[in-house]
Amino acid sequence: MATLPATTQGAEASPIVSAHTRPTARWYQLREKATPYLLIAPLIALILLFIYWPLVYQTYLSFFDWNFVRPDMTWVGLDNYTRLADDPRFIRSLDGTWKYFVTLIPIQVFVPLGIAMLLWPIRKSKAQRGYQLMLFSPTVIAYSVGAFLWLWIFNPYYGVLNKVLEVFGIDAIKWLSDRDYAIWAIIIVATWKTLGFHLLLYMAALEAVPNDVVEAAQLDGASNWQIMRSIRFPLISPTFFFIMVTTVISVNDDVFGAINVMTEGGPFESTTNIIYYLYQQGFEYFQIGSAAALSVLLFIATLFLTWIQFRFGERHVHYG
Amino acid sequence: MASVASTSVSSPSSRSSERFGKIGAHAIVLILCFLTVFPFAWMLSTAVKEADQVFTQGWNLIPESLRWANFSDAFSFFPVANWLWNSLGISALTTAGKILISVPAAYAFSRVEFTGRKFFFAFVLATMIVPGVVTTVPNYVMVSKLGWMDTWTGVILPSLPGTAFYVFLLRQNIMTLPQELVDAGRVDGASTVRILIDLIVPNIKPTIAVITILSFLGAWNQYLWPLLILSDFESKTLATGMPFFTANQEAAQMWGPMMATATIAVLPPLVIYAIFQKQIINTFVNSGIKG
Repeated sequence: MATLPATTQGAEASPIVSAHTRPTARWYQLREKATPYLLIAPLIALILLFIYWPLVYQTYLSFFDWNFVRPDMTWVGLDNYTRLADDPRFIRSLDGTWKYFVTLIPIQVFVPLGIAMLLWPIRKSKAQRGYQLMLFSPTVIAYSVGAFLWLWIFNPYYGVLNKVLEVFGIDAIKWLSDRDYAIWAIIIVATWKTLGFHLLLYMAALEAVPNDVVEAAQLDGASNWQIMRSIRFPLISPTFFFIMVTTVISVNDDVFGAINVMTEGGPFESTTNIIYYLYQQGFEYFQIGSAAALSVLLFIATLFLTWIQFRFGERHVHYG
Repeated sequence: MASVASTSVSSPSSRSSERFGKIGAHAIVLILCFLTVFPFAWMLSTAVKEADQVFTQGWNLIPESLRWANFSDAFSFFPVANWLWNSLGISALTTAGKILISVPAAYAFSRVEFTGRKFFFAFVLATMIVPGVVTTVPNYVMVSKLGWMDTWTGVILPSLPGTAFYVFLLRQNIMTLPQELVDAGRVDGASTVRILIDLIVPNIKPTIAVITILSFLGAWNQYLWPLLILSDFESKTLATGMPFFTANQEAAQMWGPMMATATIAVLPPLVIYAIFQKQIINTFVNSGIKG
């Protein structure tokens, strides 16, 4: 319908025919008014159906005891929520969630910043493109496939890691079935997988720092380190803040693929986290009500964490 | 020009320490690169090794002899051809769908005046703070009630609205276009939709290209959602099918064909990224995500 005015402009249309088919000015106006809503309609409809409605629907589901196959659902009120506190598996999953937080947030936020600062003085070198290509490569592949590659490296009998350690006189480690080591295996994979993306964001931010400010400081005799600390770092603080916020939200989500492929939460639930617990409740034990309750709590927790960071973190950020 | 300024004020000794620092930086970065790339190198090496070399006690990266049959074995032992087809089809359709719903919306949010524009844009952006995993349970129940289990539709449709970031990127790009472009179209009597198709889209092709790449990579690498929806062994994608090797006792002995399959799974994203690295980075640099 949108093509009508264009076709009526065609020279081959006779004046009489076009007088009949040309939309009236009123109709044209009406259509122009409706157009923006039609342009956003598919997106808005899909968002409503698959993002916002599910948030409502799962709140509803969280008040029922339901195993997905049974046709009848039993109303249990807040039981799905209160029962969590008594579930030792839930408590252990919180423990794992915390461990991923305290290890992976510093690793994913600060290590790429350090590497970006390291790369900065040599950014003009010819090798730079190659470095970026290599450091970024794990980011573009599937988490599950990446974890699968590491599964082979961590293999206790034929894995290359244990073979290398043997050279240094270290006995074979059962990386994935020893509860002291398994979580470190996941952390190694998660670090390998995500370092490149944050590095790229930091590099882009450093690149965007205006040159005149830096030159003025150089004329005043500031050292490279002083410039990095007092000029470049404050100016890239929005990127730092962005990475901090997104890492806090996504870090436990991200390791799901690695946990699922490498350890399935074991051994003795030492590598499980809240996301994996949710997955097991919902799709291994089909405790839909319990999984829904957990989703609700998780959503609230995410909102809260994001709010806290904006409330207390953003004041240290220099936009502009 | 920054280097000119610094050499003019620094003494010879600090210049040599700077050079030493640069060599040190190269060395550290090279070690990091080696650690990063090693899993891929080891994958390739295993993918072309004879079985007896795979299970040897040594750790030679370069195989003594090449065995390309691991690749054909992968296709005959596992439904790798099906997985490849599913990965390609689902990724292509998801990408096309996301572009088709995102471009018109981004245009409306940036260049068309209408009541509620701010509200709807916020409505879209707010989806970014809803973690994907949070909607998994209700969407799973919905998809199964709609009878979409084990179908491409069941995988694709619910993942289409996860496109807020792309809408944001597109909007940023469209806003940089000169207003005269739209005004010129208006003077010629073009409708809102005509302006989008004839004037806007041709001018934002580079951003559309980058979004196509990012969206394709995202769909190709998707894990949890297709894992839940595609339960038939044959209907899986490469990313969701491969981990099942480890659950299979027989397969657990076939690291050669398994790493050949992994090679097939990682090659498309790596090649696409290697080709478009510059455009992808530029999009991030220009998007304002830097701050």
